[in-house]
Amino acid sequence: MNRFLPIATAALLVAAPATAQDVLAVKGGRVVTVTGPSIDDGVVLIQNGRIARIAKAADVEIPWTAKVIDATGKVVMPTWVIAHSQGGQRGFNENMQNVPWLSVADAIDPAALYFEEALRSGVGTIHVLPGNQTLLGGSGMVVRPFGRTVEDMAVSARTGIKLSLLASGGGRLQQIRRLRRALEDVREYLADYERRKAEFEQEKAAGAVPADKTWTEELDRTKKPACDLVQKKTKGWLFVPTVAELEEALRLCQQLDLVLVLGANIDEGVPLLKRLGQPVVLDDEIEYFETDEETQKERKVCPPKLLADAGVPFALSLGLGGPTSHPWWQLGTCVRNGVDRQRAIEALTTVPARLLGLGDQVGALAEGMLGNLQILTGDPLQATSWVDTVVLDGEVVYERSQDPKLKYLFARDLAPAAKPAEGGGQTPKAGPEGNGDATGGGAGANGKPKDGGR
Amino acid sequence: MTVRTRWLVPALLASTAALAAQGQATAYLGARILPGGGPPIENGVLVVAGGKIVAVGGQGTAVPAGAATVDCAGRTITPGLIDASFRGGAALADLNEQGEEVTPHLRALDCLDPDDPAFARALAAGVTTVHVMPGTRNVIGGLGCVVKTAGAEPAARVLKDAASLRIVMGAEPSMGNRAIRGGRVDSIYYRRPTTRMGVVWEVRKAFHDARQALEQSVGAAPSPPSPGREVLARVLRGELTAYTTARSEQDIRTALRIAAEFGYQTVIDEAQDAYVVADELAAAKVTVLLGAPSAPQVAGPGSADGAEPRYATARLLAERGIPFVITTGSNFAALDLVREAMFAARNGMSVAQALDAVTIAPARLLGIDGRTGSLAPGKDADFVVWSHDPLDPAAVAESVHIDGNPVPASR
Repeated sequence: MNRFLPIATAALLVAAPATAQDVLAVKGGRVVTVTGPSIDDGVVLIQNGRIARIAKAADVEIPWTAKVIDATGKVVMPTWVIAHSQGGQRGFNENMQNVPWLSVADAIDPAALYFEEALRSGVGTIHVLPGNQTLLGGSGMVVRPFGRTVEDMAVSARTGIKLSLLASGGGRLQQIRRLRRALEDVREYLADYERRKAEFEQEKAAGAVPADKTWTEELDRTKKPACDLVQKKTKGWLFVPTVAELEEALRLCQQLDLVLVLGANIDEGVPLLKRLGQPVVLDDEIEYFETDEETQKERKVCPPKLLADAGVPFALSLGLGGPTSHPWWQLGTCVRNGVDRQRAIEALTTVPARLLGLGDQVGALAEGMLGNLQILTGDPLQATSWVDTVVLDGEVVYERSQDPKLKYLFARDLAPAAKPAEGGGQTPKAGPEGNGDATGGGAGANGKPKDGGR
Repeated sequence: MTVRTRWLVPALLASTAALAAQGQATAYLGARILPGGGPPIENGVLVVAGGKIVAVGGQGTAVPAGAATVDCAGRTITPGLIDASFRGGAALADLNEQGEEVTPHLRALDCLDPDDPAFARALAAGVTTVHVMPGTRNVIGGLGCVVKTAGAEPAARVLKDAASLRIVMGAEPSMGNRAIRGGRVDSIYYRRPTTRMGVVWEVRKAFHDARQALEQSVGAAPSPPSPGREVLARVLRGELTAYTTARSEQDIRTALRIAAEFGYQTVIDEAQDAYVVADELAAAKVTVLLGAPSAPQVAGPGSADGAEPRYATARLLAERGIPFVITTGSNFAALDLVREAMFAARNGMSVAQALDAVTIAPARLLGIDGRTGSLAPGKDADFVVWSHDPLDPAAVAESVHIDGNPVPASR
C-alpha cells in the first residue's frame, strides 16, 4: 500500500503539512540504527518519506530546504514494531468462533486512546489482530498509530488470519478438536471445489459442455481467507495459551504457515520452541514467579531469557495498560533478567519487522527504509527517558511539548504554591523536562490529544 | 559487567557471613553509596561489624586492620529499603477480621507467617523492613507491626509490634455487608456499615466512646475494661499514630476532619487523590503514603470511590514539602518497591527524593530510624548491593544484607 500520499489527510496541528518533496533532517543526536553501528552526532535525512542518508554530521550537507530537527544530546532510533496486538479496536473478540472472513479493518478505531498511547511510547508500526477468544478469527492488518481513518493508518492489509487454541466452553481438547475440524472443513471444501472444476473441464473437453462456457464459480467469500491459510498463501497467527497446547501448535506448524503467539507461563515449552526453530511472539507478562510444588519455594521466571539462551528469536509485546505498556520497562525487564541488550532491542524492532514481512521497511534505520524514527531524551532503556518526537513516513506526528495529555497530567495549576517556581522556569529536574510550559489542567479536557491528526 | 565479576560478590559474601557473625569487620569498597537522607558518596567505603554499621564515607575512610574486604567497584549500595505498607506476610483472609467492624486491639503480628514467600520476594528486591497492617475490610482494623524480611529467628525480626492503628475510609469496609431487609434480624450476614456514612459513624463512635472513657476515668466509677478502647485511648493521647486509608479526595478530607475533631495524629495511606487536596494535607501537616505509583488503577474499590492515580502526584508532594513515603500498599498490581520509586522518578522526582521515599522517610515515619533507613554508624547493617543505579529498570539487587548477614538474593 502506498504510504507516501498522506498530504491531504495529515493536516497536522503538530507539524506543517508535509509535501512529497520535503526533506526532513534530524541532526546532532546519537543515532541508534539497530542493524548497524550507532553514530554519535549523526544526521538522518528523510526524503519522500524514506531514509535517504545516515551519516556523521560532518559528512553530510543538509539541503537548505530541509526541515531540521535538532536532536543534540538525544537518542535517535527506529520506532518500535509490535508484532501482535489486540489494541485499538472496538470489540476485538467476535462471539462467533469460526469467522475467517472478518477483518480488523472494520474494528479499528483510529481515535482509540490505544494508538495515542502507542505514539507517546514511540511505537510506529502495529500489527492489529482479532482477540484470542476465537477459533479461526479474522484477518489482521498492520497500521501506524496515526491517521484519521483506517486507510490513513494502513501499512499493509491481509497480513494473515488469527487462530487460537484458547479453550472456550468444553476445554482444551474440545478446542483442539474444533480447530482441526474447522481446518478439515476448509480442506474438504477446497477439494470439492477443485474436483468440480476438474469435472467441468473434463466435460468441456468431452464436448458435454458448450465450448464457449467457462468455469465462473469463485471460492466462497466467507471461506477464501481460510482457503488461503490451508494453501499456505497466507500466514496464520496462532495463539497458544499454555505449554499444554504447544504440541498441537507444533503439529499445526507442519501443515500451515504459522507464527506462534504465546501466552504467559510458557517457560516449560522452551525446548519445544527451540526444536521449532522459528521466531515467536511473547505475551506482555515476561517476568513472573512460579512456586515449586514440592518445596513451596518461589522461582522467578523470565521467558525471554530462556528463549535467548535457547537461541530462539522472539518479539516482545506491550500490555494495554500498566508498566508492561512501556517499551523501556519491557526492555529493562529483559536486560535485568540477563538478556543481551541488543537482543532485547531487536525484539521490539527487527524481529517483529521480519515476522510482518517488513524487515526491509521498518525496525531499523537504514537508507531506503521508511522514514520512521523516534527521538528520545535519553537511553531507551532508562525509566527517566521520554519520547520527545515521533516521525512516521518523514512527517513529525508527535511532539511531547505539544502533548495535551502530558500537559494535563503534569499540570501545576492544582498546586498554587508551586506556580512561582514554574514562572521562574528554573525548577531543576522539574518533572519530565519539556512540560514546564504546561499552562493548565484544562488543556487536555478541551479536546482529545493529537486530534488534529485524526 | 561480565558474568565473572557478577558472581564475585556473592562468592566473597559467603565467606564474609561467617566473619560477620564473629563480629569481625567487613569493608565494602569502591561502590557508589547512596546513604539515604544525604548526598551520594562516590567510590565509597562501608564498614560493617557485629551486625552494625561501623563507618560510612569516601575513599579515605579508615578500614580497621584485619577487616575482610569486598570489592564493589561499579556497584551502588543503598540502605535496605523499607516498605511502609506491605500487603504480604500473611494470608489476606487472616488480615481481615470479619467478626466486628471495629477491632483496634487486633495485631497484624499475630497472623504473620515468617516463611511467607512474599518476604523472600521483597527481600530479593532489596526490601529489608516492612510495615504490615491489618487488611482494609474493617473500619478500624487493628495494630500494624514492623518486621524485617529475614533474620535468625522470627522474634528477632520484630522491630515494633504495635507501630500503627489502621483505619479505613471509603467504600471498602462496607463492601459485602448487608442491611437488614426482611428475614432473620440476627443473621450473621447482616453487618454494618453498609454505606460511607456508616463507615464514618463507626470511626466517630469508637473514638467518642474512647474519649468518654478517658475523661470518666479521672473521676467516677471506671468503665469496664476494653482492650480496643485502650488502643484508641493511646491514639488519643498521641502515643500511637493512626494510619487512615483514604484514596479519594472525599475520603482524604473526611480522614483529616475526623482526626482534627478528636485531635489525633494520622497518616493518610494510599492517598491517590493527594494532588487534589494538597493544600489541606499541607495545612494538616500529615505524612502521605503513596501506594504503587506505577499501577494504572487504584487498589480496592478505588474506581468506585472516584480516586484516580496521577503520574505527577509524588513530584507535587515533594514540591509542596508535604512529607510522603512510597509504598506498594494494598494494590495487587504493585511492582517491587524499588520499581515504584523508579516510576516516581520517571514522573519528575529527583533520584535522591525517590530513594529517600523508600528508605529514610519511612524509617522516620515508623520511628525506626534509630535502627535502619540510612547508612550511618551505629545503625543495623541492613543494606543492598545493586548491580548499578537501582532506579535503572535493568538493575538487580546482587546481594541484600540484614544485620550484616548477606541473604541470598533470587538470582
